[in-house]
Amino acid sequence: MNKKLLFLTKTSLAKKTKSKWFKIINLLLLILIVGVINIDSIITFFGGDFNQKLEIIVIDHTNEVGETFKTNLKSSEKALDKDPKIVVKTTKESRKEIEKKIGDKVLIIFDSSHKDFLKAQVISDGAIESNDYQLITTALSTTKYNYGLVHSNINPKELEKISSPIKIDRVILDKEKNSDSDNMDMIMGTVFPTIILPFFMLIIFLVQMIGSEIYEEKSTRSMEVIISNVSPKTHFLSKMFSANIFAITQGLLLLIYAVVGLLIRGSIGNSSAVTSLTSQISDIWELLVKSGFVEKLSYIIPLTLVLLVLSFFAYSLVAGILASMTVNMDDYQQIQSPIMLILVVAYYLAIMASMFHGSLLIKILSYLPFISFLLSPALLVLGQISILDITISIILLLLFNTIVMKKGLRIYKEGILNYSNEKVWKKIKQTLKKNSNKN
Amino acid sequence: MLKVENIQKTYGNLVAVNQLSFEVKDGEIFGLLGENGAGKTTTFRMIMGLLESDSGKILLDNKKIDYSITDKIGFVTEERSLLTKMTVKEQILYYGALKGMSEEKILQELKYWLNKFEIKKYENKKIKELSKGNQQKIQFISAVINHPKLLILDEPFTGLDPINVKLLKEAVYELKGEGCSIIFSSHQMEHIEEFCEKLIILVKGEVILEGYLKNIKKSYGIKKVVIKGENIDMTKIEKIESVEDIKNMNGEIIVHISDEKAVEKIFNVIKKCKILKFEALEPSLNEIFIEKVGNSHE
Repeated sequence: MNKKLLFLTKTSLAKKTKSKWFKIINLLLLILIVGVINIDSIITFFGGDFNQKLEIIVIDHTNEVGETFKTNLKSSEKALDKDPKIVVKTTKESRKEIEKKIGDKVLIIFDSSHKDFLKAQVISDGAIESNDYQLITTALSTTKYNYGLVHSNINPKELEKISSPIKIDRVILDKEKNSDSDNMDMIMGTVFPTIILPFFMLIIFLVQMIGSEIYEEKSTRSMEVIISNVSPKTHFLSKMFSANIFAITQGLLLLIYAVVGLLIRGSIGNSSAVTSLTSQISDIWELLVKSGFVEKLSYIIPLTLVLLVLSFFAYSLVAGILASMTVNMDDYQQIQSPIMLILVVAYYLAIMASMFHGSLLIKILSYLPFISFLLSPALLVLGQISILDITISIILLLLFNTIVMKKGLRIYKEGILNYSNEKVWKKIKQTLKKNSNKN
Repeated sequence: MLKVENIQKTYGNLVAVNQLSFEVKDGEIFGLLGENGAGKTTTFRMIMGLLESDSGKILLDNKKIDYSITDKIGFVTEERSLLTKMTVKEQILYYGALKGMSEEKILQELKYWLNKFEIKKYENKKIKELSKGNQQKIQFISAVINHPKLLILDEPFTGLDPINVKLLKEAVYELKGEGCSIIFSSHQMEHIEEFCEKLIILVKGEVILEGYLKNIKKSYGIKKVVIKGENIDMTKIEKIESVEDIKNMNGEIIVHISDEKAVEKIFNVIKKCKILKFEALEPSLNEIFIEKVGNSHE
């Protein structure tokens, strides 16, 4: 590597990482990420109780449904992957006695009814948390259903057949997919936006960093001295390298903060919360394994990384070229807008990818530079595009970077020393025209 | 030695520099003058390799100027070109490294120049915290830290008080003594007169006057007589042929003449008076500049 290029890259990187803002922002990010991961422990520390159990006292005037209700409530909790949080106790005490000492408890009174088979009264001192109330009403309905079936003189064997869940034989004709592929939509809706969000943020950092650094050198007129000692190409490359290294480093730091957060979570010993998170992760993982997604990771990850690195370069190339033509902060803010807009479009297209059902339009959009790095992996995960399609996206991105680098370097060379107040796009057009005339 | 041969630069239909040629020998200070927009900055940018000339050649020690030899050039730009968030030391280290110098050498030179300019205490201060004059000194140090073979000074004394101007002038003479070729541009003609042996005046990219300052002045001849004395009759002087204008300024009588022969006639008129001062002067560079540039506007 050219000595001056190395020096400029190192200096630019050091300038970013040694700044007060970098340290403050990273400290805040660390606190934020660790805090979010351990939010339940923090809330518990300040008096909240995630493990507080809701006690339900049942007065069963039918003498039949108490246990059924208890079983149904547990089944409902399990179906929602929730830790058992509701405790049901049956009692022989009177309503009045319980009402006197009800506190946070909930009292349910079952009575038989000629008209509706079963009636229930739900009594509490205050409001019941909506999720708990939802669970209670579901369990009550199921209990009534069971009670009704029993009292309709249906044969117990018939009753069991009616009550047992339906057996579904799921058949998918596409041999590359299996029954768990149906769950990929859920994964795309929940896991994918979380995974791609940091990359979305890193691109925003990247665009702003390159632009502000070039703008600073230009506005202080130090650009003339710098460019009289190093070529515009070396200068431009140094900005690209330093910004990309910085973005990747920042990405790794975010990952480290998340690991720190998880380690703290483990060491605090919030066992039930840790178990809950671990079980959620293992459920998702199991789902991914069943759907055959994990096998695909062997090519999805490398292809996505290639797309990502090339896209980082594409964004920094364009941001650098545009920044070279600006002469004031307003210009630079304006010029950033289209880049940010494209980035937001790419993000939303990626998180909503499953809604498009592999339409031709979305497939074409997935080839486009700036969009492909988020959309193509999403469509590949969903099985809506093939490896060939993502390879086309990579080739197009490579071509885009090569052309922009070649043409853009000319604009950059002219732009960094151009202080005219003409519109940025006009200046770019003039430079391109001038260079094409030269050729 | 710097050799500029027939360089030309156009922007669309505008000819910024037209067929410009000059030479600056080792240890010579060369003046490049012109009003704003005359083509000076374009010329500097072409010499620095920041702009490509449409035609012509620029050679430093017989080599075309490119990035292999720009390390030998120092450039003090008209506007301050410092990264103001850096400290003085960081800034000089940065520019020094861009000129291919080792850190050790830069720090050694920095110590010398900071002491010379009496600003050692500002070494670790941020540039934005310095006064304009001290910033200008830092700008100068950043341009000469590598002991350049060619130094371009575009308005180097801007923002400096007379004491600091003197310090910088001494530094320029020191570099001249080292054999550095210096191109000097300023709107303050007294500095040019003091520094430059040779100069060029540009108007709209065209050379309208060039040569050794001594010869240029000589070619104009005596144009002014300054008299200080008692009981001098100005009306008698005014009547002398070739006297164009006469005025009294701060006790001195300034007589503008169109012919050198008038000097003797003026002296004969006043010789019986008490004379404290009698000077026959060539035109100042300022007067020559105004006359030349003014004429080309007409």
